[in-house]
Amino acid sequence: MLQISVEFLKREFFKYYYENINELMPPSQIKNREFGFFLNKEGSMLRHKCFSNIEEFHRFVLNEVPFDIYVSAANYEDPGNRDMSEKKLTSAELFFDIDAEPPGGSSEEDSAWVCRKCGQYGLEVEEKCPACGSKTELIKLVSEEQLKEALKETEKLINVLTTDFGVGREHVSVFFSGNRGYHVHVNQEEFMHITGEGRREIVDYLLIQGLEEKELLSFLRGGKYLRGRDLRGVKKRVYSRVFEMLDSNGKSKKAHGEKRILKQLENAIEELKVRIDPVVTIDMHRLMRMPGSINSNSGMVKKRIQHDELHSLDPLKDAVAFSDEEMVLKVRIAPRFKLGGRTFGPFKDEEVELPAYAAVYIVCKGLGEYVGR
Amino acid sequence: MASENILRVARYPFLPEAREFISRNIDLSLESLEKTGSEAALKRAVERIKNALISREVKVAPQHESNYVREILSFPIAIILVSMLMNEYIRRIYALGESRGAYKRMLNESDETLLYIGRRLGVEGFLDEENMIRVSIPAYLNLAYAFHERHWKLVNRIVDKGCVLVSRVEYARLLQVEVNNYVYDRTLEPVPAAAVPESFKRAVKTVAETWSKLEAGKPSYTPSKGIGDNPPCISRIIKRMENGENASHFERLTVATFMIARNMDIQEIIEFFSKQPDYKYNVTKYQVEHLAGLKGGGKKYSVPSCRTILTNGLCHPDDNCRGIKHPLNYGEKHVADKRGVS
Repeated sequence: MLQISVEFLKREFFKYYYENINELMPPSQIKNREFGFFLNKEGSMLRHKCFSNIEEFHRFVLNEVPFDIYVSAANYEDPGNRDMSEKKLTSAELFFDIDAEPPGGSSEEDSAWVCRKCGQYGLEVEEKCPACGSKTELIKLVSEEQLKEALKETEKLINVLTTDFGVGREHVSVFFSGNRGYHVHVNQEEFMHITGEGRREIVDYLLIQGLEEKELLSFLRGGKYLRGRDLRGVKKRVYSRVFEMLDSNGKSKKAHGEKRILKQLENAIEELKVRIDPVVTIDMHRLMRMPGSINSNSGMVKKRIQHDELHSLDPLKDAVAFSDEEMVLKVRIAPRFKLGGRTFGPFKDEEVELPAYAAVYIVCKGLGEYVGR
Repeated sequence: MASENILRVARYPFLPEAREFISRNIDLSLESLEKTGSEAALKRAVERIKNALISREVKVAPQHESNYVREILSFPIAIILVSMLMNEYIRRIYALGESRGAYKRMLNESDETLLYIGRRLGVEGFLDEENMIRVSIPAYLNLAYAFHERHWKLVNRIVDKGCVLVSRVEYARLLQVEVNNYVYDRTLEPVPAAAVPESFKRAVKTVAETWSKLEAGKPSYTPSKGIGDNPPCISRIIKRMENGENASHFERLTVATFMIARNMDIQEIIEFFSKQPDYKYNVTKYQVEHLAGLKGGGKKYSVPSCRTILTNGLCHPDDNCRGIKHPLNYGEKHVADKRGVS
């Protein structure tokens, strides 16, 4: 990224933080949290930072204008200690990350490619670089459809948390991550004290890993009588779905062979599991992107979503942080993309005028450089 | 005649009311212990520890309960003695012995008493209309980690409105873990040597002698170089297997899951097993792949917890084991900073 682009981003980020500093609300107990920052677009993270109050934190942000801001899911006795075990973890929010799946069957206009080997690039889809024959990298900006899929997973997660796990909705905060997916934070006191091993069990529950097959098989073989109370939570959902699938071809449930039952079980699990990133939830020391902060991978904001606006909110419009003042950019390559309610591109090796939010997006993605106003 | 309540305190001396009873009735400062005629309680404390070391279970008989002052007092004294011994293995065995004894006694209690003990231990359970005990998910998860069998996995439990449904026996098992953790943590508290009465020092010596006698029968072990940061339980099994000794099913499971968790190459793990007298390539390959979640239901088996390893007689802790509950956390200090962001 050219220096002129870095300065452009810093200027825009500063404007956003200056006007919206009160949107930057860290979770409770700010004194006990560890903070992390990327102060430059490249280079390593500044971590183990701590602040004694919110004003001090806000001052730091307005002075440094970080590219990314993170806060620990955990509360520590000594959050500034550089030795992780000396930080003394006292509790940690349950934290879930759901990312949009990579796009399948991509349409040509929404795609571009680059060759990491020889630096060639172009619009549409090329599997092999026409210049050097190496495998290319597909560039495709996140689409509304992908985000909708990720939102479905997020709703599945919220449902498990509030029904099976009995977490009050007021303790479940949902965010658009600012780039490709959703974050869910749970801050109900009892859940904040679950150990790392316990969190692994929660992950297995959500991904439906390690489910005993024997019980289902013996029931279907007419062996063990499955009492009504056995059917609750994830077992109920999985078993009911398997029964539906087996029933759908008119044959009695019990007439199916073991292989077929296990296949349907696999299908049911694939359909019902919640696609969270397991590593994120298990790691109690994880740093989470700060709610209300800019995601420098896109220039969009990690935005809180109220439970009743899950469907009405359009992340690619509502999480836009910057104005529509026009900027001039030199775009190397950009497939068609939708942002702020408008559609842009595709562009290739051209100077274009774009609203600030789209300009920031292109520069953040490393697809072009800033020229001027 | 003592009331049922006080007998219950004698039976479960780790309950908070035992502390209340002592602070109300007895001066437990170390200086005065010698004067208060605690000789009998000290003797019983030594017996508790020896019970744990020899038979892995601290038994409390009716005649112990009826002598309830001695019985209640013997527990904190035993904790002091174990702390003074400064031996990680004795700490763990003692905690196991106390908790296992308590578990067996709890099985004979009424529902009401069982739930009462749970509540006092901070692991509240509620009996539902189907005669199952409901435990909150966080409380369940923080205790059930100790068990390795598949049916303890959350995904295989009946989960409903924030609770896990468990049977009476399972509930008692969970409480056993809680008691174990409680006793173990208390033996970690340092005892100021200068303040300890002579009679205690003599008692510690008695226990240490019993301990050396028990240890004398066991084969000695010196860790070989190059085993690196593995916990001693794992290194020990590896060493034995390298020498071609026939390892038990549980030992093999422990080592294999540990190696898988440490991202060792599957092929290397299979080769490691080749020194076993009954080694068959295909069988080993299948089993290792199964444990790694590459076969069958796709479930990756977890490494047994310290508790499970101890229960199987394979725990041989060193100083770095202090306070850890899982072999993978051994040497955690060195790796803790490798972590990501989201």
